[in-house]
Amino acid sequence: MKNQNVLVIGSGVAGIEASLTLADAGLNVHLVEKDSLIGGQTIKFEEVYPNMECATCMLAPKQQEVLQHDNINLYLLSKVKKVEGSVGKFKAQIDKKARYVSLVNCIGCGACYDPCPVSLDNVFEEGMSQKKAIYVACPGALPNAPVIDPENCVRLNGKKKDCNACEEACGFDAIDFTEKDKTIDLDVSAIIVATGFDQFDVKSLPEFGYGKHPNIYTAMEFERLYAQNGPTGGELTLREEKPIKSVGIIHCVGRKEEGYCSGVCCMYSMKFAHFIKDKAPKAEIREFHTDLCIPGKSHQKFYEDLAKEKVNFIRYKEIDVKGKNGSLEVNYTNNNGKKNSFKPDMVILSSAMISSAGTKDLAKKLGISQDSMGFFTTQNENLSPIDSEKEGVFVIGCAEGPKDISDSVSQAEAAAGRVLSILQ
Amino acid sequence: MNKNIGVYVCECGPNIPERIDIDKVVNEISSMDEVKTVKKYSLMCSNDGKKFLKQEIEKEELTHVVVAACSPKDHENTFMKVCEEAGMNPYLFQIVNIREQCAWMIPDKEEATSKAIQYIQAGIHRVLFHEPLEKKELEINVDALVIGGGISGIEASLSLAGPKRKVHLVEKTDSLGGMAGKLSQILPHQGSKIKSVKEKIEQAKNNENINISTSSEVKEIRGFLGNFEAVIKSTPENGEEKEQEIKTGAVILATGFDLFDLKENPAYGYEKNENIVSALEFEDMINSEKIVLKNGKKPKSVALIHCAGRKEKGYCSKVCCLYNLKFAHYLKDNFPDIDVKELYMDLCLPHKQDQSYFDQAKEKGVEFIRMDEVVKTKSSGDQVEIEYKDNDKTDKLKADMVVVAPAMVPSKDTSHLAELLNLPLDKSGFFKELHEMLDPVATPMEGVYITGCALGPKNIPESMTQSHATSGKILSSLIPGRKIVPEVKVSKIKEELCTGCQTCLSVCFYGAISYDPFKGVSVVNEAICRGCGNCVGSCPSGAIHSKHFTYTQLYQEVLDALR
Repeated sequence: MKNQNVLVIGSGVAGIEASLTLADAGLNVHLVEKDSLIGGQTIKFEEVYPNMECATCMLAPKQQEVLQHDNINLYLLSKVKKVEGSVGKFKAQIDKKARYVSLVNCIGCGACYDPCPVSLDNVFEEGMSQKKAIYVACPGALPNAPVIDPENCVRLNGKKKDCNACEEACGFDAIDFTEKDKTIDLDVSAIIVATGFDQFDVKSLPEFGYGKHPNIYTAMEFERLYAQNGPTGGELTLREEKPIKSVGIIHCVGRKEEGYCSGVCCMYSMKFAHFIKDKAPKAEIREFHTDLCIPGKSHQKFYEDLAKEKVNFIRYKEIDVKGKNGSLEVNYTNNNGKKNSFKPDMVILSSAMISSAGTKDLAKKLGISQDSMGFFTTQNENLSPIDSEKEGVFVIGCAEGPKDISDSVSQAEAAAGRVLSILQ
Repeated sequence: MNKNIGVYVCECGPNIPERIDIDKVVNEISSMDEVKTVKKYSLMCSNDGKKFLKQEIEKEELTHVVVAACSPKDHENTFMKVCEEAGMNPYLFQIVNIREQCAWMIPDKEEATSKAIQYIQAGIHRVLFHEPLEKKELEINVDALVIGGGISGIEASLSLAGPKRKVHLVEKTDSLGGMAGKLSQILPHQGSKIKSVKEKIEQAKNNENINISTSSEVKEIRGFLGNFEAVIKSTPENGEEKEQEIKTGAVILATGFDLFDLKENPAYGYEKNENIVSALEFEDMINSEKIVLKNGKKPKSVALIHCAGRKEKGYCSKVCCLYNLKFAHYLKDNFPDIDVKELYMDLCLPHKQDQSYFDQAKEKGVEFIRMDEVVKTKSSGDQVEIEYKDNDKTDKLKADMVVVAPAMVPSKDTSHLAELLNLPLDKSGFFKELHEMLDPVATPMEGVYITGCALGPKNIPESMTQSHATSGKILSSLIPGRKIVPEVKVSKIKEELCTGCQTCLSVCFYGAISYDPFKGVSVVNEAICRGCGNCVGSCPSGAIHSKHFTYTQLYQEVLDALR
């Protein structure tokens, strides 16, 4: 009997799908997640194109399945420390940070947040809301239990050693300040890397004015702004809480710099127009794009429907954004070389997807390389883009390169297929 | 049967007692004649709580259990498992949600308490009418039938075939390889040359666990996950026609695509001038290393037209930009003097390596011209003249040879197979996936999967990925030696009430209902039914009910809830 254990790194939509497919087959899945919750980037989206389905509702049953599956061992707040060996006999070491909250005892009632004396920016909400040192990233996060940030908790960082506000508020004996970080050793036959993506840093392009004017948003900020469980409870307002009258959505931010098209920004930018039409029906919307990359079989229709709804599509050659006397100005040169400008009260920057921050480190540990764009290198000898250079190590989802949810799920099921095929 | 009902009220720590007077609830429910025992407990879902419930069921000899606690999404399964462990049929259990629906919703304690009491009474009156349901286990066949011998079908077959799993690979033409087999080379930046398609064909032929039937088609197919039967009809060119019946556990459709008929839009001038060729014809020219005009001369200029059929069909085919770039690279590498122009609407370069492939083509001197559409293509002396529109301005260009890239369209067999298997098609006529985002290779028919361009345009690596995905789905659900357990809460049709109107057939998403012409009634296949209840609601004569959601059960529950 071959070793029936598989390591999956990353619990976004790809990692979840790969884990469930393998676990249903009876394999023992070790799912490692660096964060305190599962679901990755997908759970940040209120709705996803092209059918405008609620992403959290779509994924929640799968997340629950992961949490309840007998064959899935979930390691939260964990990172891969070391990997040795080869296909069929990898030895992996996992560093697991303490949560200080017992997942067995905690029922997620939330009584512990209010008493906590510490207030911090919530990174999950792109810093648009505050959280305590004991917190859940957003309502509906799974597992439904908070985590204590040890660097900022005054009890754990030693600034106020006798603080036990959360412990006192907890009716379930779920707070455990004595929990220690752990190292876990695993023997696995295959490794699936599903570490996702990061967003291109729009601050590196001063011509877009990000950070200089409050109403210039990144795509991810806008996703959270629209989300029911986001910082504004789904209220679509400007930073100064004025209603929105006009919006400019700029595609391809960072495409030139990164040297590739991310394949999904056109579609999600148009999704934003849908959002705005929905919540601010009278707002004027202009989509500034270069090439429209809308390759899915239902995607062109999505575009045509929007164009009918009087969303203005403008093909630009050059573009910049300036903040002037508290208002915004988008200056652009269109396809015919004509210069023009537009004064919206909100600008959204649809920026490129880039390789996730931990890629370099993880590639080194796994003994595989990064391609010229920073993603994990995959080899195509079998014409299959998920095989890494190392036998038994598969790369799926946006860890392999920018892609949408559908393609990520296909790759996840494919990786499960490859592993099961090898083991059958 | 003597009905011993036990009711357990969970406090969920401080969550429920904060808003609900638990003692009042216990008192009130205790006074009901139907109930044998009522108790409260601090946290039922804890290990101690589950132990307590198990002991109670055994000690009190309970036949029915109601737990008033949280949402069934949280712990219905938890408590059903406890009931089963205590020897009870788990379907004689009912969970009542007094946390989300009462304690967390109603600020007034008295109101919340009385609503909780009402809900628990509803649960008790419902559970009285519950029937014990039994899980069934079915033996399975783990083999797979793959329809379509293109690169997607071959890859799925190779991935699935094993010592304990046979694959039947059925191809309608007389050879394997499909469209990919006709291409000059697979996009160089996406992997190796065409030889790997040939290698894969050889691998499939040499695999003793793959039965290949060429010149064959699937004539009939019926059944469900783990238990399909199919009839394969073979008509070899120089042989005898024969039919064979096979049993299989799963079916993969890998029927590929066809190409948009360029004659549909006269603007492309196809067949009007011999030097206007389709992309596939140009592939042939590359294969035979003869890039020549009809007069036998080498072209001095070639224009490549993208997006032929995009507007007509209503979607972008995703791969045409890339293979046009491939043509441009080929021309510039082999005949640097040829002037190459590409006419495109939008450059669709969605994969991480695509942009640099485009940049390289530009460096080699390929000219890229954006257009909204081609207006006219006609002969002009020895050359072809293309008139195109961009931003309401029209422009013209001339070239010795014009290559037109047609959109990918559903293969001819698609609608026939969809009918055979009762599968839905999307608006463009491709197969429709079960869920575009989360279940991209599955269909409503469990056990039937789709891969490659049968689902919509895609490139070869994506098709291969989907083939592995179908294989993942099958290897995960059909395991040698394991049995499958179909859904228990299925629909049931009362024959004496059914009028045979067949409304239910049209609303069943999973193809679980068929019509029995001899009896004149509809019949539910319990192995396929997933208990969604669509048919129950649609039946005009009330002949269908859903097990565990019968009219009586719901009526009794609603009676109390609306009191």
